[in-house]
Amino acid sequence: MTLVDFANLLVAAVLLAGIYAVMSVGMTVIYGVMKIVNLAHAGFMMLGAYFAMELFERLHLDPIVAALAVFPIMAIVGIAVYYLLVRWLPQSDKPTLPSLLLMFGLWLVLQNLGYVIWGNEDRSIFTPRTFDVIHAGPIILPTIRVYVFAAGAGCVLLLEALLNWTWFGRALRALVQNRYAGQIVGVDDQKIASLTFGLGIGFAGLAGALLASLYSFNPDFGRPFLIRAFVIIVLGGLESVSGVAIGALVLALVESFAIIWLPAGYQLAVSFGLLVVVLIVLPGGIASLIGRVRRLA
Amino acid sequence: MTSSPTPPPLLAVEALESAYGAVQVLWGVSFNVPHGQIVTIIGSNGAGKTTTLNTIIGVMKLRGGRILFKGEDIGTLPPHERVKRHISLVPEGRHLWPRMSAEDNLLMGAYQPSLRRDARRNLTRVYDLFPRLKERRSQLAGTLSGGEQQMCALGRGLMAEPELLMLDEPSLGLAPKLVDEIFAHVEQICKQGVTILLVAQNVSYALQMSETAYLMETGRITLSGPSRSLATNKYVVEAYIGKA
Ligand SMILES: Nc1ncnc2c1ncn2[C@@H]1O[C@H](COP(=O)(O)OP(=O)(O)O)[C@@H](O)[C@H]1O
Ligand SMILES: [Mg+2]
Repeated sequence: MTLVDFANLLVAAVLLAGIYAVMSVGMTVIYGVMKIVNLAHAGFMMLGAYFAMELFERLHLDPIVAALAVFPIMAIVGIAVYYLLVRWLPQSDKPTLPSLLLMFGLWLVLQNLGYVIWGNEDRSIFTPRTFDVIHAGPIILPTIRVYVFAAGAGCVLLLEALLNWTWFGRALRALVQNRYAGQIVGVDDQKIASLTFGLGIGFAGLAGALLASLYSFNPDFGRPFLIRAFVIIVLGGLESVSGVAIGALVLALVESFAIIWLPAGYQLAVSFGLLVVVLIVLPGGIASLIGRVRRLA
Repeated sequence: MTSSPTPPPLLAVEALESAYGAVQVLWGVSFNVPHGQIVTIIGSNGAGKTTTLNTIIGVMKLRGGRILFKGEDIGTLPPHERVKRHISLVPEGRHLWPRMSAEDNLLMGAYQPSLRRDARRNLTRVYDLFPRLKERRSQLAGTLSGGEQQMCALGRGLMAEPELLMLDEPSLGLAPKLVDEIFAHVEQICKQGVTILLVAQNVSYALQMSETAYLMETGRITLSGPSRSLATNKYVVEAYIGKA
């Protein structure tokens, strides 16, 4: 492998990590506040992809603009789902069976809704720009991937700012770390939970919408990405946006460089293998590795 | 008791009952907290003191009875409505957010929209009271020492501009010198006009500091009166002070 090949792979991995981070932060905030593993995440990503397609085809929005517009739409969908279904779940500090069943069932419902509305053929979003590339010296960047990365990374940074600098963000982190303490200072936990669910689903929709300008999709869209989100969350922990970003980067690097030795069709097997290895070797994720190294030093 | 001219107490708890699922813990607890006083509830581990405070702040649903704050029945309001009325709890075990900075922990004490405008000013007051917290403001709360954590919890309680400040075992697990320091702060806070409901296993300290005391045993108030008289009560001395 030449240095240029290496640089190209590296850049591709970073671009991929951006979109991986977008699709994982949504699961992270929902899990953090509600301890719900959102198995329907892929279903909401699929909805996001189709909504972006509709906005692109009917209103002729630029695909990236359409993806950003999908965020508030899906956030409202998320809040509605929270009030209709999620809030009836028993409260718990750990994931519960009812919550897993509800979210899994919801995924199936969303998928079938997708088949009813949009049929089962593959769809995609093409623009004259879809195959443009930027040449940065010897490095070749597909333009659309750069835009997707910029939009995704921008939104993740906004989320980080929201969590750190606003009352809502502080309240959200407070519920993640100690729900009881949040309640006694007067955090309305139902309200924060509903907004968090909206935020998480908004990010799921955004991820799906952004992916829709890179890949073709059908109502089963999102399934392989759900596994990836699990790997990233196990790697990066469920607490912080920066953890998710690091997890996303590690997975993207492993997947991108695995192509050198394995056929592309094995990408998902690579992420699944990484999941198993991490669970066995490093159950606490990267944070525990850093902790261990610090203790040695 | 009928129509005396004495003003109603700040907090009046009447025949309070609370339960964890099917297990009832409080069996008709009644007591008063007059304006400006330090009132203490003493009792051994498991008597129901923490449950009482959690029911007053609203994290625990009450099963029966009434909670009157300034004459208003707040017993069915959600916790944030009670915080809005300037009731504040410094919980047993502190319950800080370990991966948030000390300053963010304090700021969260002023989470209610009506408190946010003055949050910065109140933060300055808390830092004046606890200069050590100011030095450690950007440190994660989980890395503070035990004493600093207790000060942070106390400071968070003060950020809500409490009229009634409830303290649950503020000295638990602290070195004797720090215990003195914490209780000195509590007295100072009371002098500034904050009414205090204090729960402490350190019975002799609690009785020294307070004007009125209630003894709680297995979810019932079994003895009450001026703290001075409880401090010399033969039963209290034998069962609670002697062994401490
Ligand atoms: N979360 C809980 N679930 C079930 N029982 C509890 C719980 N918390 C406390 N209890 C029980 O309630 C009783 C009173 O506890 P508590 O209010 O913590 O007492 P104290 O603060 O006086 O030590 C105890 O018997 C305790 O075992
Ligand atoms: Mg207790």
